[in-house]
Amino acid sequence: MNVLKILPEKCTGCLRCELACSYVQTGRFEPARSVIRVSPYESLTSYAPYTCPQCAEGWCMTACPVGAIAISPVGAKVVLDDQCVGCKLCTIACPYGTIFYNSDTGKAFKCDLCGGAPACAEACPTAAIVYEEAETADWLGGFAAERAAQLQAVGGG
Amino acid sequence: MAKRHLIIGGGTAGINAIRTIREEDGGASEVVLVSAERPYSRMVLPYYLGRSIAESHVFTATPGKLSRWEVKPHLGRRASALDSGSSTLTLDDGAKIEYDDCLIATGSSAVRPSIAGADGPGVHCFWTLEEARGVIREIKAGSHAVMVGAGFIAFTILNSVLSLGARLTIVEIAPRVLPRMIDAPGAEIVEAWLRRHGVEVLTSVHLTKIERAGERRRLHFMDGNEIAADLVIMATGIKANLGWLDGSGLTVNRGVVVDDHLRSSVPNVYAAGDVAEGRNLVTGMPEVHAIEPTAMEHGRIVGANMAGRDLAYRGSLLMNVVGVCELEMASFGAWDDPTAESFVSIRPERAAYRKLLFTGERLTGGMIIGRSEELWATNDVGMLKGLVQSGVSLGRFKEQLRKNPFDLNTAFVASGTVGSLLPRTILGRGSRAPGRAGASV
Repeated sequence: MNVLKILPEKCTGCLRCELACSYVQTGRFEPARSVIRVSPYESLTSYAPYTCPQCAEGWCMTACPVGAIAISPVGAKVVLDDQCVGCKLCTIACPYGTIFYNSDTGKAFKCDLCGGAPACAEACPTAAIVYEEAETADWLGGFAAERAAQLQAVGGG
Repeated sequence: MAKRHLIIGGGTAGINAIRTIREEDGGASEVVLVSAERPYSRMVLPYYLGRSIAESHVFTATPGKLSRWEVKPHLGRRASALDSGSSTLTLDDGAKIEYDDCLIATGSSAVRPSIAGADGPGVHCFWTLEEARGVIREIKAGSHAVMVGAGFIAFTILNSVLSLGARLTIVEIAPRVLPRMIDAPGAEIVEAWLRRHGVEVLTSVHLTKIERAGERRRLHFMDGNEIAADLVIMATGIKANLGWLDGSGLTVNRGVVVDDHLRSSVPNVYAAGDVAEGRNLVTGMPEVHAIEPTAMEHGRIVGANMAGRDLAYRGSLLMNVVGVCELEMASFGAWDDPTAESFVSIRPERAAYRKLLFTGERLTGGMIIGRSEELWATNDVGMLKGLVQSGVSLGRFKEQLRKNPFDLNTAFVASGTVGSLLPRTILGRGSRAPGRAGASV
């Protein structure tokens, strides 16, 4: 299966992935509704995007009381809008923090890998987000820990 | 001869057990389901009340699905006695069912206070589908509904009651709302929010009786106060359905006591969900967690073990989430542990509150309250859960969170939480999508 692989050293923090994601997911350029989120590290000198790792457990999917989360042909856990009642259980069951509740629609929403052509990866100008065959992994942990340690070494953290 | 599995109870725990048995064995065993009701999801009844879904949406295992799973159902029948010595269940019509192993997943029932008029006409609980139908029949736009009790169950239906145009008064015997989900400062924010949205909230009030007054009810309180209501909803707690297990030989405390495989004191009898007293993931102590995620995880573990796996369960994480009038609130783990070190950020004027509870360098509990529109206030619920669930050591990030409890992201990411979570699955394998259990489906 292809996954969204994140190469944080390449991220410039341009936020194009958030714009592209929100546009494809909601029809509007609204980064707040993006399901890939860029966060700053090391006191705003580095950035990295973070999104659903499409985990093997599928905590959101197993928690859903009405079976409203399925696995798509490209291996993404996807919310079935006509089944979702908006109970938010998935948002507290997901330990990755990558499924959200939209109070405008009354539904949960998350990364569905854009059906196999992720807009974030297409929009990324530095190939910090690539969509390729790999095992899902913790792409950011080592990077973020290292940046935090650097910051601490210079007395900023 | 095929192994005979007996599932007693068609709620979340029972249905997840059946689905998992079929995922594991593809139909090789016999599965018998005894369920007093047609299987449905209690979790979505509030949305049925609010008319945002049809009644058909609440059913989880339809007759078609049960038949595809090759389940032999006894619907509308209650379990009346378990003879664990001879592995035989007796139903309320006298029929007997023998099993090789069985799951007790009989759930819980709403409890009414023992006062005059508590079970009279116009006084409803909201726990089962039948009770939900009762409320739906009687609630009308412009009617005055009085909610007795301000716990989680009451809160799950507040939005629906209000959306139907009813006027709402909440009366609570405790000094504050949601005593088992959020702490006192959090409750203050929630109460102020409700009042601002036109809900009357009366705390520390002691209901003494409910009288009929023509078409209406009159609620009497110990301080002499009276309230007239068109409809009374009792949300005064639940109790595990355990009475029928008297004489079964099982060890029962607050629930059926289970080991890390969800087995009771009798090895071929399992228990799951609201009737099971199992391990709390955070504290390691035995506890009844009458919440949907625990019922689901218990059910899946039992299903796999019944199908021949040897699966231990790490324990269930207490968690609740509910929203009312666009205010979201969630709590996790040991959110009320007085011995924990707690970092708090509270802005009552913005209805924003966050509390992180540490035991050493581990986050062992947390609470988030915030307005729905403030994404920064509510989007962190998942990461908070991940930190409590994984129990990662936060090391130096603990100090960062002391300074700013709102900056969860760096601590979550840089502490390698994702890496510690990814290999963990409940069943020791990837989950299958619902409706895709086993080869026969």
